[in-house]
Amino acid sequence: MYQKSPISDRIARIREKCRSTAPELDINRYRLVTEFYMANPQLTGILKRAKNLRNLFENMPTPIWEDELIAGWQGAKFRSSAIYPEVSWTWFMEELRSNNIRTRSVDPYLLSEEDEKYLLETGDFWLKNNMSSIVNEYYPQVLKDTLTNSGVIPFNKSENAPAPVGHFNANFWNATQKGFGAIRDEARAKMRELEEKGIWGENVQKYHFYNAVEIVSEGIIIWSKRYGQEALRQAEACTDPQRKAELLQMADTFNWIMEHPCRNFRDAVQCTWLYQLAMCLDGQLHGISFGRIDQYLGHFYMKDLEKGDITPEEGQELIDSFFLKLMELNKIWSERATKSNPGYTCGTLTTLGGVDMWGNDATNPVTYMCLQASARMSLNTPQALRVHEGTPDELWEAAIETTKICGGIPTFESDIAIIPAMMRRGVPLEYARNYCLIGCVEPCIGGYEWAQPGGDGSESYINIVNAMLMAFNNGVSTFRPEGAPLNTKVQGPQTGYLYEMNSMDEVLEAVKKQFYFWMPWHANCTNIWESIAAWHTALPMVSATMAGCMESGKDVMWGGAMFNSTGNSCIGLGNVAESLNVIDQVCFKKKIATTREMYDALINNWEGYEELRQRIVGQVPHFGNADPECDKYMTFAAETYADSINQCIGPRGNHWSAGCYPVTLNVVFGYMTGATPDGRKQGEPLADGISPVQGQDKKGPICTMQSLLTFDYTKYGNGTLCNMKFHPTSLAAKDGVKKLAAVMKSYFEQGGMELQLNIISGETLRDAQKHPENYRDLVVRVAGFSAYFVEVFKDSQDDLIRRTEMSL
Amino acid sequence: MTKELTGRIYDIQGFSVQDGPGVRTTVFLKGCPLRCPWCHSPESQEFFKQLSYMSMRCKGVEACDYRCIKACPKNAIELGDTRKDSLTGAELQMIHVKRDVCDNCGKCTEVCYPEALYLCGEDYTVDRLVERLIREKPFYKEGGGVTISGGECLYQPEFVLEVLKRLKEADINTAIDTTGYVRWEIIESILPYTDLFLYDLKHMDSAKHKAAVGVPNELILDNALKIAERGGKMQVRIPVIPQFNHDEENIRKTAEFCARIRDSITVIQLLPYHNMGVMKYLRISDKPVLEAVPPSDEYMEKLKKIFDEYDLPAQIH
Repeated sequence: MYQKSPISDRIARIREKCRSTAPELDINRYRLVTEFYMANPQLTGILKRAKNLRNLFENMPTPIWEDELIAGWQGAKFRSSAIYPEVSWTWFMEELRSNNIRTRSVDPYLLSEEDEKYLLETGDFWLKNNMSSIVNEYYPQVLKDTLTNSGVIPFNKSENAPAPVGHFNANFWNATQKGFGAIRDEARAKMRELEEKGIWGENVQKYHFYNAVEIVSEGIIIWSKRYGQEALRQAEACTDPQRKAELLQMADTFNWIMEHPCRNFRDAVQCTWLYQLAMCLDGQLHGISFGRIDQYLGHFYMKDLEKGDITPEEGQELIDSFFLKLMELNKIWSERATKSNPGYTCGTLTTLGGVDMWGNDATNPVTYMCLQASARMSLNTPQALRVHEGTPDELWEAAIETTKICGGIPTFESDIAIIPAMMRRGVPLEYARNYCLIGCVEPCIGGYEWAQPGGDGSESYINIVNAMLMAFNNGVSTFRPEGAPLNTKVQGPQTGYLYEMNSMDEVLEAVKKQFYFWMPWHANCTNIWESIAAWHTALPMVSATMAGCMESGKDVMWGGAMFNSTGNSCIGLGNVAESLNVIDQVCFKKKIATTREMYDALINNWEGYEELRQRIVGQVPHFGNADPECDKYMTFAAETYADSINQCIGPRGNHWSAGCYPVTLNVVFGYMTGATPDGRKQGEPLADGISPVQGQDKKGPICTMQSLLTFDYTKYGNGTLCNMKFHPTSLAAKDGVKKLAAVMKSYFEQGGMELQLNIISGETLRDAQKHPENYRDLVVRVAGFSAYFVEVFKDSQDDLIRRTEMSL
Repeated sequence: MTKELTGRIYDIQGFSVQDGPGVRTTVFLKGCPLRCPWCHSPESQEFFKQLSYMSMRCKGVEACDYRCIKACPKNAIELGDTRKDSLTGAELQMIHVKRDVCDNCGKCTEVCYPEALYLCGEDYTVDRLVERLIREKPFYKEGGGVTISGGECLYQPEFVLEVLKRLKEADINTAIDTTGYVRWEIIESILPYTDLFLYDLKHMDSAKHKAAVGVPNELILDNALKIAERGGKMQVRIPVIPQFNHDEENIRKTAEFCARIRDSITVIQLLPYHNMGVMKYLRISDKPVLEAVPPSDEYMEKLKKIFDEYDLPAQIH
């Protein structure tokens, strides 16, 4: 029987402090980077990035907060966010000048007047010195003239790289077991070797790479030792003997780790945190994930336990401390981006469970300890649990009990679907078995693959609903802001008008043509961004551990990792499937309306067609109810999108990977999407993940699951997301948890890829809207990640409530 | 041409975790000879297709131009209460169905697109039902399968028998949820195809039984004994209803009865009365309904102990 154990007083104090501290902008990183960039225009490329990071390591504050066992921070203030001017900057200056940062409705930040003044004085320097501005010079004219503002791809005339290179998982095995002293020495040896052989041909680039690795490896050792000094300083000043002993132990840890292989569990947990923080400081915090944390920490723990060097309570407290650091972690986004990633979250996902490289169950005590940390502290830090045929019942139970407390944590990821999906993009079986999840749900061979699943500069999302709508309107967008005239600008292929189409075959052909036009353009623009980012924001700190990079002498951004891919995610799959189903039912099968009427209804945003709209919403058979006649359009939509993106090739010579996970972009993209045949009006939310249109899956979870099993998930190497909601009463029965696990197992055995559960009632959520103060700790899964419900913006709250109530 | 065999169904529920072992799909058949005042599925009682009105789904008649009112040939629909939409805060004009006038023709449901008005009850052929149930077979885990429930499903015996035979051919675990108030011959006919009976015991005193639910209990008890005799398995369900059967004396007699058939009993469920079904009555009628205070957890524990005394496997819920 699953039991949630109580947390220690220390953990309770830190947790409370974190929940009650308002995030603040911390200027230390910004100041150091700005001064460095201003003083060093002669430096470019990877060397600039390496020396910039080294400068941060040598000069950033090294705070150790009160009570902490695991330390290391990105600024001088608790729960602060660092500022990253190198990526995109226009939005920041705009929000700063309009005083929006402190007052905005979602994720506001405190900012001192003094820091604000410095930002205003120096900020203009970055307006042309950020990736967004740089890469804009390289985009094709056709993007700027024709394809901009399509509502399909997220690339426009300017400001095309709001997101940094993010969404990756470095190799924590190398960080904990090899250490950066050895990596530094290896880089030095490689340089000596090249100097002897001649820095010729392709060795020139390699030389620059090893040089950069040497600089950052030495840097991270210096940084750790600076924390060691701080721990020692605090220890000397400490009068409490117990805390003094802790600080001395921390000093010992900091002085040892990073340079040397970790000696024990404590070393390994601290090393994992500090290395993560180093990558955040370098590359901006954005979906930088921990990978299979129970795997690389587990053996340290078990060894310590065996030797009697640690008790389970001490081990749990270290894991709790670690997860509290994750909880503290946040970064400022633009207000616009925040709407799709609300709740001060940053996608630092951890992966648990699964099989080892030989296919055996890999569960260990740390797997359970991580779940315990989430449940007993009600954390919103995301966790993914890999499940397979041999996942112990005890782990299923622990995971479902955790998800009851923290909505959607963990997500359930099926080895049965994901391992073949990895192999489909060329990864051998034994490596494929080592996949982890990045960001939200994106599979990646952690530490071995540069999968770029989400951090493609402009975010990796494509609105396939607008692509479909262009198929009905001869390549012209049907989206029309209120009061604006009809669009006439042709952006996509001229596939004719819906009212000219005489069969479903013609409709499907037109949609297919749009997909095969827009997906490659998405890849084109992303590829151009990547080629520029590879030079300006190479990542030697990640490459230092990533398998393949030291061997090949190439940065991860240059294709140095052992495996490579690029990920994408579509938004609105459910709407495309349902819209095609509706057109078939209404215009061809039942002949309730003509294609002309349907076209006019869409162009007029259903005005004058309300009766038809209601009839469609209420009485037409819908996708999502295990009706093969409807669900076949899911097969079409899902596979056409996947095939059209998977054929594309990235600059590292890799294939692209399809995905479908919306975060809350289904709401945000909905604002910019014209009316759809499924009865949705312009501006309303799109369907969530791979789920059916909100409220149209009327026959319960088994039927919904059957409808979702109608396409090949192994084509979705970049992951899929499915929120399943369960009212708590369905789990109240005897063996309720076991039965829920059984249903999920069935779904996965039939090829399903991912599920996440929201076990919560609509009443609870509505009450939380009215009385947020009573629900400060209510964690809910908002699409691709979990957040505190009261910190989610209102439209998303409404969407969640609507979905919950439909299930009653 | 003979008419194809059909069954009248008012609901099919996948991921049904309360109706027998494991993960099941439960098929609810319409029509019941009993009239239990606490029934939480009032729509199951009548065999005929019944006009239902779920006001939560109604968008307000103003929004749809009074279509339902206009469509009714009997003028059985009038304006009712208003409802405040939880999200928009708008006052919506609901309707009221004059039950004494309505003949359940269903004309209004054809024009009610949000399906606030709908006919409860749909006729399924054996093929259509079995095809769906077999499609869901991969989900029947942990000893799960299909439960056929009601109403009293055995009031449509030919249909149930045929469905059971087909399910057994497909190697699917079967359960029948019954009141027991049916001719023995019917139970005898399905016995070979039924892995488990979910069997209700409501009151041991026949007069009280009849006074409350409309029928005496002799046939029910007799059938239970015969099922046991034939080696059938039973999951006995005892709804614990305040002011009806909740007294210790009755529960003790029930336990004594169970002890006589103990070998055939897999588990005894004590199901405390709940009022979650109360709202459902409003969908199909204006009649007042039993609303009682659910028995306390402590009281339920006390009743369970009586079964413990007889060494019977009882559980609450």
